Amino acid sequence: MTFQELILALSRFWAERGCLVVQPYNSEVGAGTFNPNTFLRAIGPEPWNVSYVEPSRRPTDGRYGDNPNRLQQFHQFQVILKPAPLDIQQLYLDSLTAIGTDPDQHDIRFIEDDWESPTLGAWGLGWQVWLDGLEISQFTYFQQVGGIDCKPISGELTYGLERIAMYLQDVDDVYDLEYAPGVRYGELFRRSEWEWSTYNFEKAEVPLHFQLFDEYEAQCRKLVGVSEKKGKGGKLVWEIEDPKARLVLPAYDCVIKCSHYFNVLDARGAISVTERQRFIGRVRHLARAVSEAYLAQREALGFPLLQGGAS
Amino acid sequence: MSRTLLFEIGLEELPASFVDGALAAMPKLAEDLLARERLGHGAIRALGTPRRLTLVVEALAEAQTDLAEVVTGPPKAAAFEADGTPKKAAIGFAKKLGLEVDQLFVEETDKGPYVAGKREEKGKPAAEVLPGLLEELTRKIPFPKSMRWGDGEHAFGRPVHWIVCLFGADVVPLSLLGASSGRETRGHRFLAPDTFALDGADGYVDALRGVHVLVDPEERAHVMRERLEAAAAEAGGRMVDDAFLIRENATLVEEPHVICGHFDEAFLALPDEVTIEVMRGHQRYFALRTADGKLLPRYLAVTNTDRAPEIITKGNDRVLKARLADGRFFVDEDLDRTLEAMVPGLDQVVFQAKLGTLGERVKRLAAVVTELGDEGPAAEAARLCKADLVSLIIGEFPELQGMMGRWYALKQGVDPEVADAIQDHYLPRGASDDVPSSVASARLAVADRADALVGCFGIGLVPSGSADPFALRRATIGVLRIALEGPIDVDVRRTLAAAHAAYRAQDKPVKDEAEVLSALDEFFRGRLRAFLTDRHPTDLVDACLGAWDGGSLRDLKARLDALEAFRALPAYEALAVAFKRAYNIAKDVKETEVDGALLQEDAEKALAERWAAVEPKVREATAGGDYRSALTLVAEELREPIDRFFDEVFVMVEDESIRNNRLRLLASIAHTLTSIAHFHLLGGQG
Repeated sequence: MTFQELILALSRFWAERGCLVVQPYNSEVGAGTFNPNTFLRAIGPEPWNVSYVEPSRRPTDGRYGDNPNRLQQFHQFQVILKPAPLDIQQLYLDSLTAIGTDPDQHDIRFIEDDWESPTLGAWGLGWQVWLDGLEISQFTYFQQVGGIDCKPISGELTYGLERIAMYLQDVDDVYDLEYAPGVRYGELFRRSEWEWSTYNFEKAEVPLHFQLFDEYEAQCRKLVGVSEKKGKGGKLVWEIEDPKARLVLPAYDCVIKCSHYFNVLDARGAISVTERQRFIGRVRHLARAVSEAYLAQREALGFPLLQGGAS
Repeated sequence: MSRTLLFEIGLEELPASFVDGALAAMPKLAEDLLARERLGHGAIRALGTPRRLTLVVEALAEAQTDLAEVVTGPPKAAAFEADGTPKKAAIGFAKKLGLEVDQLFVEETDKGPYVAGKREEKGKPAAEVLPGLLEELTRKIPFPKSMRWGDGEHAFGRPVHWIVCLFGADVVPLSLLGASSGRETRGHRFLAPDTFALDGADGYVDALRGVHVLVDPEERAHVMRERLEAAAAEAGGRMVDDAFLIRENATLVEEPHVICGHFDEAFLALPDEVTIEVMRGHQRYFALRTADGKLLPRYLAVTNTDRAPEIITKGNDRVLKARLADGRFFVDEDLDRTLEAMVPGLDQVVFQAKLGTLGERVKRLAAVVTELGDEGPAAEAARLCKADLVSLIIGEFPELQGMMGRWYALKQGVDPEVADAIQDHYLPRGASDDVPSSVASARLAVADRADALVGCFGIGLVPSGSADPFALRRATIGVLRIALEGPIDVDVRRTLAAAHAAYRAQDKPVKDEAEVLSALDEFFRGRLRAFLTDRHPTDLVDACLGAWDGGSLRDLKARLDALEAFRALPAYEALAVAFKRAYNIAKDVKETEVDGALLQEDAEKALAERWAAVEPKVREATAGGDYRSALTLVAEELREPIDRFFDEVFVMVEDESIRNNRLRLLASIAHTLTSIAHFHLLGGQG
């Protein structure tokens, strides 16, 4: 099974089970969770079933195209089922069959792995799924997103596509993967790994990234209308009262940008241990404001997807 | 009449620690609830796997026992007028018991006549009581974290899928966490996935064994160990035993099977610890050694299925190969420079925002060990002891800290004594860990803990409740254990003062020495008390801590041992009573010079004479820390005269000068003894 056949098989499997097939987000994200199709849609009462591929950037994981297992950009296949159906584990196991791996002929394990994103103010409980000792997926029941308790609970399935493909194709080096008949993964991505590793570790201009972080932070606050200062008990102070007057989606893009610039600065070694916590706190503050604004806006709109829209 | 109760909660894969915690708590929860509900029962057992938590109660009574008890109410006078008319109190009391006022009666008690009534309640059938009882039990099962799922209405360790509740052969209907009870359970997720009905509560363990579920954790662990040992023998080695791996693996499967995999022999060039940790930490594999202790290029993995072992082994081999390649990459990169060359990197690592970097920290450690008498090795180890924290391998496997430092140190030709101290200064890591065995390691270990304690207390980072991010509580116990079990004594006050001086020499913003040391003195005493009272009677510990000056820890232990021996003597009870009397009468008396001319009675003369002879010896023994001899002397010499004194002499006589002279005699004895231990805090021989 080629890399692209793997993507097609998973897309078809989940589309047949009621998931929207949407496209990757067009901004730099560290994981499929950052895509608003997960992060924002997990908030509030509206149902939501979706699947998509997410090219995910982890600047510090870059290895200049030299390491057979590590990449600064890899691909996740992301599924959100909201509310998570009771048979979600079985659905997941069925999806393995769909990609040619019979769960009955392997040792499949659900190993505790709780997930927490300090920058997004989000956490969940779940597992990493092991296939004969290999971690192939993350499986998470979201409990909180943007500091807001989830209800209903979304089930998030994240497949590590490169790892699964390496397993299916029995290759030891990611660059040897067959992406499509006659096309190797290395031909598509080795150069890009080298360029981005060089950029992230050596060339990305530090002052520029600090400046971008500051400016997108300010822009975010302005768009969503939240004050820099917090009110009593750490409550957010709104400068735009009308939930429909806030530009939640552009504001959320600013959160994504801030998070990404932070990651680049981290890869450049420009953030000390103590500053680290402060930067994470700043992004979390924005993520929380956008989350609350999103929930208020959806409520003001009458939670459209509750009227039987979605999927 | 009785039947077996079976209560099984079926759920999605619980973490191993959740299963262990739940199974440990369930029997006691059941016992308490059954007692409260007056349901007689036989043995109670908790069984379980990642996918089910089960309670089995044998010989559970068919019904609650009837309740018939006499309840005492208000005093008669408060309940009835003299003419027998009931007052509010009587009416209220009767109502509370569900009785009419004329069913109350009067009971004579020690405190006079009281109104009483009989409360009777017919026992309900068990089947009626069980749903509420089991719901309460389920709610009380403790999990480190609970989660919600689906519509978010329920919270538990993991989502619940089914409930079996059988009383004998009958289903006890109940609804819990979104599931309704029945007799349908499930077998192994992959080997026997269908639901199937249980005939009754008896035979549950056997029935599940038939569907590839070993539900009894002990049986599962036993079978797993047998299979591991057989596989190890077949591979020509023995497995590296590991309590964590045994427990963890047994709790991660419903039916344990074992595969034996391979890795490339070239990886054996890595330190054994790295190879073992890669297998253990990431993959939960067991390492194998030959009879002469050499690591084999093989491993054992516990799996949850016996199907397709070749495929599964091949998959696991692939994963381990990539992991070991990662490990080798890190070690190779690290070996491009010496451990020495990593030291400057510590200047970039923050220990604590106000206390500075690890680079500054190791300089303080070197200063402290020198102050404590080190002549080289500990100070050299201090300089190198944290350097491995900036190595790549420790970034990946933090639990190898110290061990890799030692390994890298030996590679660069560091003196083995110094290299050992780099590794051993982390000891003891926990209660079951050994303490450092060499003097240099022990000094550095103590300095390391003193630095953390003084630094944190110096800036007000004091442990509170469950918050103890720098593990300061464990650090104090570590220091105590090093002094008692290790090669050197520790003078707590002097060590902490040296640590404080080292912070001040670096201009760190720690509070004044007096303030920090006094707070730490209190903290140490609290921790020592908690630790020692687990091993010695509380009153003994308090008596010794009261007299201890906060310095030498071996001195504290010597007091404890001496006092324990003293308490076992036949003379103890009488002496303790006498010492307490002396202390109570004379504790506020400062003067201790006895005027021989003022002694009147034979008994006091005898005591004064004996004490004058004994006191210098007692003081000498005490000053030398030989509390056992001091107390033996006291027991032998004072028993008779002090008893006689209290029998025959009245201390608080009218004549002030005689009275004060007697008080001074008692004060002299009390003060001397109190400097050994606070006898007035002691209880009986027990």
